[in-house]
Amino acid sequence: MSNAKLPPVIELRDLKKRYGVGDAEHFALEGINLTIKKGEFISIMGPSGCGKTTLLNILGLLDRSTDGEYLLDGVSVDKQSDSRHARIRSTQIGIIFQSFNLIHRLNVITNVALPLAYKGVPRIKRLQQASNILKTFHLSEREYYMPWQLSGGQMQRVAIARALVNDPSIILADEPTGNLDSRSSHIIMEELSDLHKRGNTIIMVTHNPDLTTYASRVIQMIDGTIASDTADYRSQEKVGAKIPLDAHHVPATILPAGNKKLRKTTVRKKKAGKK
Amino acid sequence: MRFMLVEHIGNAIQTLRSNGSRTVLTTVGVAIGVASITAILALSGGVQSIIKDQVDTLGGAIAVVRPETHQNRADIANSLTQQTFNTSTLTEEDVTNVEKLPGISAVAPLMLINSSLKTSSNTVKGGTILATTPSFAEVTTLDIRDGQFIDSVTNRDTAVLGSQLSVDLFGTDQSIGQTFSTRGQTFTVIGVLKPDGDPINFNNVDLNNAAIISLESGKSFHRGVAQLQQIDIKADSTAALPEAVDKATAVIKENHNGENDFSIISGAAIAEPTNRLFTILTSVMTAVAAISLVVGGIGIMNIMLVGVAERTREIGLRKSVGASNANIVGQFLVEALIISLLGGVFGYLGGYLLAFLTSTFLTFDPSFSWQVAAVAIGTSLLIGLIFGIYPALRAARKDPIESLRQYH
Repeated sequence: MSNAKLPPVIELRDLKKRYGVGDAEHFALEGINLTIKKGEFISIMGPSGCGKTTLLNILGLLDRSTDGEYLLDGVSVDKQSDSRHARIRSTQIGIIFQSFNLIHRLNVITNVALPLAYKGVPRIKRLQQASNILKTFHLSEREYYMPWQLSGGQMQRVAIARALVNDPSIILADEPTGNLDSRSSHIIMEELSDLHKRGNTIIMVTHNPDLTTYASRVIQMIDGTIASDTADYRSQEKVGAKIPLDAHHVPATILPAGNKKLRKTTVRKKKAGKK
Repeated sequence: MRFMLVEHIGNAIQTLRSNGSRTVLTTVGVAIGVASITAILALSGGVQSIIKDQVDTLGGAIAVVRPETHQNRADIANSLTQQTFNTSTLTEEDVTNVEKLPGISAVAPLMLINSSLKTSSNTVKGGTILATTPSFAEVTTLDIRDGQFIDSVTNRDTAVLGSQLSVDLFGTDQSIGQTFSTRGQTFTVIGVLKPDGDPINFNNVDLNNAAIISLESGKSFHRGVAQLQQIDIKADSTAALPEAVDKATAVIKENHNGENDFSIISGAAIAEPTNRLFTILTSVMTAVAAISLVVGGIGIMNIMLVGVAERTREIGLRKSVGASNANIVGQFLVEALIISLLGGVFGYLGGYLLAFLTSTFLTFDPSFSWQVAAVAIGTSLLIGLIFGIYPALRAARKDPIESLRQYH
């Protein structure tokens, strides 16, 4: 999937984030340069405290950089107001969290429809769209369940549906499988992989090296800088646009229970730690 | 923006319902404050409409002449000035001259005398004696229970008693033919009034406790000169009243050598001196009730702050899926406003319930007016706004990243 001709979705130029002042000053990001094209599935790896979550927060416009430039869809967002950022979040960005963050008072379909409310979509239309997207995740019969009646994997799929419902240009995922067992993890990764195949841009932060196999590009971060980027490697080696993935073409939700190969590789690597 | 409002309302109802008991308790806090204000306003409105109603039942064509004294303008803190003891400037000549004017159907002078009333076996101290003319019956509603009212034939040394006074003097309200004496003169009872429910009226006389005698008899207590506190004028019709008042003013002014030492008031203004006291009373009581409303408001703020703290993650999430600060402020403010509005509505209903229960012990009914409803709903919304804005702003100021990290 080569998108060389399309404009980059995200362009970061010397992005810096500083916390604290004086003695306590500390850079969480020390000059990140990154270009993300439409349709990439990026996995950001790195030890705790390397700044990967900070980077994701800035990409999601939940936080602001101290220095440098961030172009989203070719537009610099650094000087934009908070309310403009809120509007961009509601139209262009979908975020998936480690802890799902469903609102427990609201049923599944209302949770999924939530982003559309801030986009100004009327209620009935909102529920229709939410229902449609839940159908693609095979959760139609769970529409009126409450979140606590679902399993972890189901909750995360609902959360993914919510991130997708407003048809965002980028999807950000902060350790989306961090709270799930390996089986659910793979179902979720299949979903994300599926989204990727449908042309969505996904940026995922993870601790789990196994999951990087789903990504089209892997970025290693250390101490607020990018240590390695498979895209650079690829351009040097003139390898094809995509790292060969292990070919899971199984539909996400009906992952066969007996897929021993999948299970073996992941059961060993229980998630190392939480951020 | 209108669309978001609908959204916020739906959201707030959802939240309030899921925290049912909490919502009810907070609402009750506001409702108590609103109820007390509503009850006070309804009852005081009832009092103030009594006199107006009395004038209205007489066709609304009533005007009263009162001497202009400084007392009328005296403040409540210093009501006992020397002017209090002035003699009235109204004279019997004023009455006879006004009577002659066209467009006026009846004129009644009122001369009040305070005096002890004695029978052979009983004494009522400080009784009220009203000396007037037979036309008094025309300018005010009088129901004779037994006997007759004073008239031009039987006007010497006869009296009509209020029913309560009759009981106080003779131990019965069947006192026709009995005699009593006051200031050395003996009077025969020729009539007894029906018990009248309203001690508050535009004559400022509690007829229940008064003895009505003729003006001639009254003058004899005052060296043959009438000492009138008030003259009641009844015009032929409501339409003729303004003209009648103008003419009467001119005539009386002439009698008083051009001095404007009296005032003729009609319509709603008749009730004003009485109402002034009630207005002061009402505002004092309302101020006390407003304190409970503030307490209710603090309850709202308290519960909203709890709600904001509890829903920190939800706030973070809503922000991350695209809610702006204004959206968050709106959501929490609407929630506070709904609580206070519910309190306002239930307080209004409860207030009237309270007012009607109270009025069974009183001589008047609570009054209904849109002003009371507007005050009840308006103040409750104001309370919701004042005490809801701070929690809402606090919710909106939350940092989405920090909020989402809570309880991880």
